[in-house]
Amino acid sequence: MVELKHITKVFNRNRPDEFTALLDVSLLVRAGKVTVFKGPSGSGKTTLLSIIGAMAKPTSGRVFLEGKEITSLSERFLTEIRRRTFGFIFQQFHLIRGISAIENVMLPATTTGEKHATLRDRALRLLDLFGLSAKARSRVEWLSGGEVQRVAIARALVNNPAVIIADEPTAHLDTRLSMDFLGIMERLNAEGKTIIIASHDPLVYESGMVSRVVEMRDGEIRGPRQSA
Amino acid sequence: MFGRKSDIFFVGVALGAAALGLMTAHADYRIAGAGPSLMEKAALVERLELTDLCLFTDARYARHPSVADRHSAFQDSPMSAEHFPSGTVVLPPPHLCPQ
Amino acid sequence: MSLLERHRNIIDFALSSLGRRWKKNLALTLVYAFIVFTLASVIFFTEAVKREARAVLKGAPEIVVQRLMAGRHDLIPAGYIDILKKITGVGQVKGRLWGYYFEPSTGANYTIVASGDPPLEPGTIAVGQGVSRTLHAAVGDLIPLRGTDGAYVSFEVARVFSHASELVSADLIEMPAADLRALFGVPAGFFTDLTLKVRNEKELVVVADKIRRLLPDTRPILRDEILRTYDSLFDWRSGLLLVVFAGAVAAFIIFAWDKATSLSMDERREMGVLKAVGWKTSEVIAMKSWEGIIVSLTAFFGGILIAYVHVFFSSALLFEPVLKGWAVLYPRFQLIPHIDPYQVLALFFLTVVPYTVATVIPSWNAATVDPDSIMRL
Ligand SMILES: Nc1ncnc2c1ncn2[C@@H]1O[C@H](COP(=O)(O)OP(=O)(O)OP(=O)(O)O)[C@@H](O)[C@H]1O
Ligand SMILES: [Mg+2]
Repeated sequence: MVELKHITKVFNRNRPDEFTALLDVSLLVRAGKVTVFKGPSGSGKTTLLSIIGAMAKPTSGRVFLEGKEITSLSERFLTEIRRRTFGFIFQQFHLIRGISAIENVMLPATTTGEKHATLRDRALRLLDLFGLSAKARSRVEWLSGGEVQRVAIARALVNNPAVIIADEPTAHLDTRLSMDFLGIMERLNAEGKTIIIASHDPLVYESGMVSRVVEMRDGEIRGPRQSA
Repeated sequence: MFGRKSDIFFVGVALGAAALGLMTAHADYRIAGAGPSLMEKAALVERLELTDLCLFTDARYARHPSVADRHSAFQDSPMSAEHFPSGTVVLPPPHLCPQ
Repeated sequence: MSLLERHRNIIDFALSSLGRRWKKNLALTLVYAFIVFTLASVIFFTEAVKREARAVLKGAPEIVVQRLMAGRHDLIPAGYIDILKKITGVGQVKGRLWGYYFEPSTGANYTIVASGDPPLEPGTIAVGQGVSRTLHAAVGDLIPLRGTDGAYVSFEVARVFSHASELVSADLIEMPAADLRALFGVPAGFFTDLTLKVRNEKELVVVADKIRRLLPDTRPILRDEILRTYDSLFDWRSGLLLVVFAGAVAAFIIFAWDKATSLSMDERREMGVLKAVGWKTSEVIAMKSWEGIIVSLTAFFGGILIAYVHVFFSSALLFEPVLKGWAVLYPRFQLIPHIDPYQVLALFFLTVVPYTVATVIPSWNAATVDPDSIMRL
């Protein structure tokens, strides 16, 4: 699905505070699997996710999406690819406050030129799937933590992406909500979605559905180069 | 279910444009109907040989700006120090302005 | 189709976005609409007065000849009429009798003019609506006027000029020439000024030149100059109203600029989220532009429509203090509306474009943030 070849990411290049967040990372993420990146804080998990998800460009190395190189594409094309291929769930969820849950869910598809009615139906169905149809018109700041999380997942799914990318999804959740989250991810994986999670929560990387755990330390992948 | 928010915008723009249209139509209607009153005023102007509109009655140069005195103080220019508010709106007539 | 749909979706979001800070945005729109309203009112009013002056004063005397003495307007000897008649090209020459009358009991100023054709009966007058209002005088009433000798002379109101003519007649008192002479003590053989008709309009300037040479103590005033007087009189760029108003506009610009330029942390974060969930930079900017367009277009429509109602339905109620000034007698007139499409268009571009640009420019920076920056917030 996504292949990284010799990826290095350097922040603040040629400045006194230059920092190498990723160093020569090569990796193949297989379609239809659940991959978890684990490692201590600052090990480069988020940076790696943003490169996999076509949000950021590597300093050197090449990124392939389904066999096609996307490293050199312009921002416009990258955005297009990102929108179609990836659904993101952020650590803080980053819902937009002041607007309703359904408007938040529709956000990634707002600019695709799709018909409003079909888009709306799709968003409603997704919210329904997560038991949130009653909250569709509520402003997001009135939602509970668990509801916010599920709205964020619904938003990641609205463009029907092949890959779900989640960065520390359980960091702000209690055990029960974390289990709920993993349950949803398992269901999505069973439907054929590729799932990539960065987490240092044992609950996540020790979960039974995980196909592969990649351990990171200081911007490098540790341990055997397995590919599940 | 619920109308879209953008519909409100489009309806608003359409209403605004329609109101502008209505405004123009009203203006045209009033212009078309103004003939008699204009004629009446023009006839009065001609009969009494008037030279000015009666907009301000507080100062001579404001009531009859076109035949105002040329040299007397405080009457030639609204920019001069005078105490009538209309002086802020009335400009010296062109034939009194230095070329 | 999909472009339209896309922008409709973006407008949906822009409206939701505006709705979140609706109090602030509403206040902004109202202030903005007020500015458009004031500008449009001034434009509508001045344009209408200018047009009216041009239409009504077309029949004004082609040339008025004033005599000047010691720099002031003075009575002109009737003998000048014959001198003027001899100038080639000059048709009719007539003497005009008119003057001002201050009424101490009401504090109002009237203009008294000698009766034209057909003349009024001796001892009767025709008065304008403003005179009738201030003196509570109707047809048949007797009005005492104080003459130069201090004695009061009563005149009977024979006629009241119509409402429709108020813009030229509000403060007029028309009386027979002989009565006017007696009242003001204008000696026989003198007039207030003279009016001339010229056979060929093209000769106006030449005739005026001859008058100036022939009668060096006089000043000819051409009708063209009178009309131009009204153009410059109400030239909307002038006048204290706009000078004072400029302060308000400047304050608004600072306010809007501040509001538009200082994107709050929240707004920046939102734009980051939009980028992260797959909006292009251009789409984020389009959203901000729509926000600006929605606010300014609302203000434009609202302001201009209320201005129209204000000027042509309420007779520029809010301008009255300025127009009225110290005057006791204030003409009540309904202006004939005239809408110049170019002025409306200019107003549109002066309001909608700068505001939209002011909203978009500061967003530019925020909209170009790297989408991954949101992952570290
Ligand atoms: N824009 C940046 N400029 C400079 N340094 C950066 C930047 N972004 C990340 N870094 C650094 O890169 C390193 C890796 O960051 P990253 O966010 O990928 O770690 P992480 O594994 O996700 O950590 P955590 O578990 O705390 O989220 C960190 O030391 C961070 O300080
Ligand atoms: Mg991280």
